[in-house]
Amino acid sequence: MLEGLKAIAKGMGTTLKALSAPRDTYPYPEKRREYSPRFRGKHMLGKDEEGHELCVGCGLCEAVCPAHAIRVVAAEAPADKPVSWTNRYSIDYEVDLIRCIFCGMCEEACPTNAVRLTPFNELAAYDRESMIADKQELLHPAIRK
Amino acid sequence: MIADAAAKLGIDVPVYCYHEALGPLGACRMCLVQVEKMPKLATACTTAVSEGMVVHTRGPAVDKGRKGVLEFLLINHPLDCPVCDKGGECFLQDYTFQYGPPAGRFEEPKIQKVKDGPINEFILVDQERCVLCQRCVRFMGEYVGEPQLLLEGRGVETVVTTVDHEPATSQFSGNVIDLCPVGALLSVPYHHKARPWNIEREESVCTLCPVGCTTLATGRDGHIVRIEGRPVPDRSWGWLCDRGRFGFDFAVNPSRLITSYLEGREEAAARTTRQVGQWLRDAVSQHGGNSVAFVAGGLHSTEEAYQLNRFAREVVGTERLAVSRDVPGYLPRGLNGTFADIDDADAVVLIGTDPYESVPVVHLRLRDRARALPSLKLMGVAPRSLSRETLRVDTLVTHVGQEAAVLAAALSDAARGHAVLAELVSNGLGDLSGIDGEALAELGSTLVNSEHLTVLWDGLEADVEPVLVALQSVRGDKPTRVLPTWGPSNWRGFERAGFDARIESLTGILEDARDGKLQMLVLWGADLLREYPDQELVRQAYARVPVLVAESLFPPAGHESFKAILPQAGPGEVYGTYVNMEARLQVAMPSVQPPGQARPTKTYVTAWARAMEKPFVLQEDWDPYDDNSGDLVPEESVPREVRPIAPASSAPDGYELITGVLVIENGIPSDFLKPRVPQYPGRISPSDADRLGIRNQAVIKLSREGREMTAAVAVDPAMTPGRIYMPLGLADAPVNALGTGAVNVTVIEEVHSA
Repeated sequence: MLEGLKAIAKGMGTTLKALSAPRDTYPYPEKRREYSPRFRGKHMLGKDEEGHELCVGCGLCEAVCPAHAIRVVAAEAPADKPVSWTNRYSIDYEVDLIRCIFCGMCEEACPTNAVRLTPFNELAAYDRESMIADKQELLHPAIRK
Repeated sequence: MIADAAAKLGIDVPVYCYHEALGPLGACRMCLVQVEKMPKLATACTTAVSEGMVVHTRGPAVDKGRKGVLEFLLINHPLDCPVCDKGGECFLQDYTFQYGPPAGRFEEPKIQKVKDGPINEFILVDQERCVLCQRCVRFMGEYVGEPQLLLEGRGVETVVTTVDHEPATSQFSGNVIDLCPVGALLSVPYHHKARPWNIEREESVCTLCPVGCTTLATGRDGHIVRIEGRPVPDRSWGWLCDRGRFGFDFAVNPSRLITSYLEGREEAAARTTRQVGQWLRDAVSQHGGNSVAFVAGGLHSTEEAYQLNRFAREVVGTERLAVSRDVPGYLPRGLNGTFADIDDADAVVLIGTDPYESVPVVHLRLRDRARALPSLKLMGVAPRSLSRETLRVDTLVTHVGQEAAVLAAALSDAARGHAVLAELVSNGLGDLSGIDGEALAELGSTLVNSEHLTVLWDGLEADVEPVLVALQSVRGDKPTRVLPTWGPSNWRGFERAGFDARIESLTGILEDARDGKLQMLVLWGADLLREYPDQELVRQAYARVPVLVAESLFPPAGHESFKAILPQAGPGEVYGTYVNMEARLQVAMPSVQPPGQARPTKTYVTAWARAMEKPFVLQEDWDPYDDNSGDLVPEESVPREVRPIAPASSAPDGYELITGVLVIENGIPSDFLKPRVPQYPGRISPSDADRLGIRNQAVIKLSREGREMTAAVAVDPAMTPGRIYMPLGLADAPVNALGTGAVNVTVIEEVHSA
């Protein structure tokens, strides 16, 4: 009997201690965790100050990607309508976010600092199709709230 | 040279400027090596090897030298590899990684030069990336003999550009793209298209002319985006002509057949195939197998021809099989030479053919030989002068239809009393007035006395065949080798697959068709209205045959007459072996899938066999290669009998229509090549033009005995007076509508140059 009471007291003691202790979980999505700015989440394609795309479609990210998640198709821009800062640009740029392992090699390989991994990591979707980020999506990166 | 010796031993010596075909220059200084007992580093490409020489290809001194050279080369290099098409397959990148300095020390602004400037329609030059190795300049100037590229400026301002800044017009210009070790000369069709890591390169063979150059086809995302030359050690340098290099877009040309047509309407492939099977079945059951004829042609592979041949013989049971021919000549296998015979020849005789136009890469080969052996005897027998800036040919200019007689006359002069010659000229030689006796004697002595004779023949005159057979027996053991320059490019392959390549069998089929003996005529890639020498006969045959079926890459001429047209899978889309003018079998791997409904031959014939309810198993049991002859079609002995040639007809008073193959205009469309295709493909000599009142170009009407054709001609100073040249097989001006020979000429419209 006494043994039982002792055990209950001990258990309640642990419970009460934990009640007042700081919590490890967050009430997501009302509150979100702070990530390091170096966190490797979803990709984005950068632009320079004049609004030209930085990506020139060199395909180095495609080459270096260990998961074969990136597809780049380059094209020549018409002389009067430049897309990137030079006459070569990527007409098509796709990242398959299901395949991507977020290793950041693309970012490292990029000679123009066009592709970057943002801290955005909310990548859930209802179908596979929407897990393929196309160029427009990458040019307008979502911002983590 | 040390560089060659090292390459032979598998030791890597970096080079930019050196190319074995072009010879040593020593411009780039990249190949520095250390030779013992030499005070300084020596260039491996200009130092000849000698007995007892000790060479260090690596080592501190060599590495320092190369590092220095690379640092200099990179001083004004823009380092724009991410936007450079060469990125990933660039020797400047490779060697910099291997030997170069980690960083440059040059801090001044780099000199800006022209970027993406045009050399011509196909080639861009980026002068900033150039390392001034001069490969392109030397190739065009020395190797091709058309000096259209040069170095301009001095010192750091030196740039590669075209002469007078006019576009380069040579048909070998594309080779400078392959030759350029850096990203300075780039292909326009491939510009910004792909990277070495996202393409697949397949070994292929160009099928656009009988040379059958070895190529590498670059495929990306289901399209061929580039063709490169593929050197074969000890056999070919991998040169291509612009036709072969940039003409690959025929596969995606809008006029390409990608759907089936049944009685003029677009129809599903399955239904069309089934209907054709039904027709075959009806024809065979009601009129017997021999009421169906098959004609192979076009760009089909040897395997496809074999499958069609087996289907025709085993399932249909017909003996009426032929190869589509545009010239009547035939060359027995025993006389067929290889390109090595050009390299060994001390005399080359061109019969009718201008290699520059009909087999361009052979022209380079001939030039190579002529440069290596200045005493090379280069003669021609043709109705026009075959001599060019790049290749001097002593042409004996004949009239149409006199080539065989002239050759026979020369031969009987030089080898008087030989038994076969009596037989050869037993019908007489005919009227050869106007042929220069001295030139004839020279031709005769060349034919008979040369040690190694190589002949190129265009096949326009069938009677040349017995002359060549006679020539062979007159010359005895001395090599007499002939290279046929006519199409279809794989005709020898069709022959290997079991078709009769002589024109007689094709003529027989067409005559039977005209006489109503045929129920069904199946044209496999053959476009007879455009190809067969007598268009009228084809027209009559088409009108009479109840069921006319074509399988083709492009809608055949007169497509209204066809009951069914099936799309063909082209080269680069099926695995296949192609036999070139050397009788050499070469394998082409597929790079892409056939577009639309286009299917390989096997699909069609197996479907038809099923429709005819006959057992037909096509296994991969046939191999065109022969155990004994390697990659050549098996040798056959040369026929001994010589049939007498017809006497030459006398020279006509007025104009003569002459023809020949012009490979840039061989009927296979290409959007890339459009700017190169001459608008006025015909040619007329300046004196004739004067007489007709033509200044530069004109549209003229040629007529003979009620038949006529219009021809767009331009004045060509190289043309022989009295002749009007039209390329063979033009869709809008078919020479076969009229046939070569005497014609009346009237000017329809003179066109002043724009």
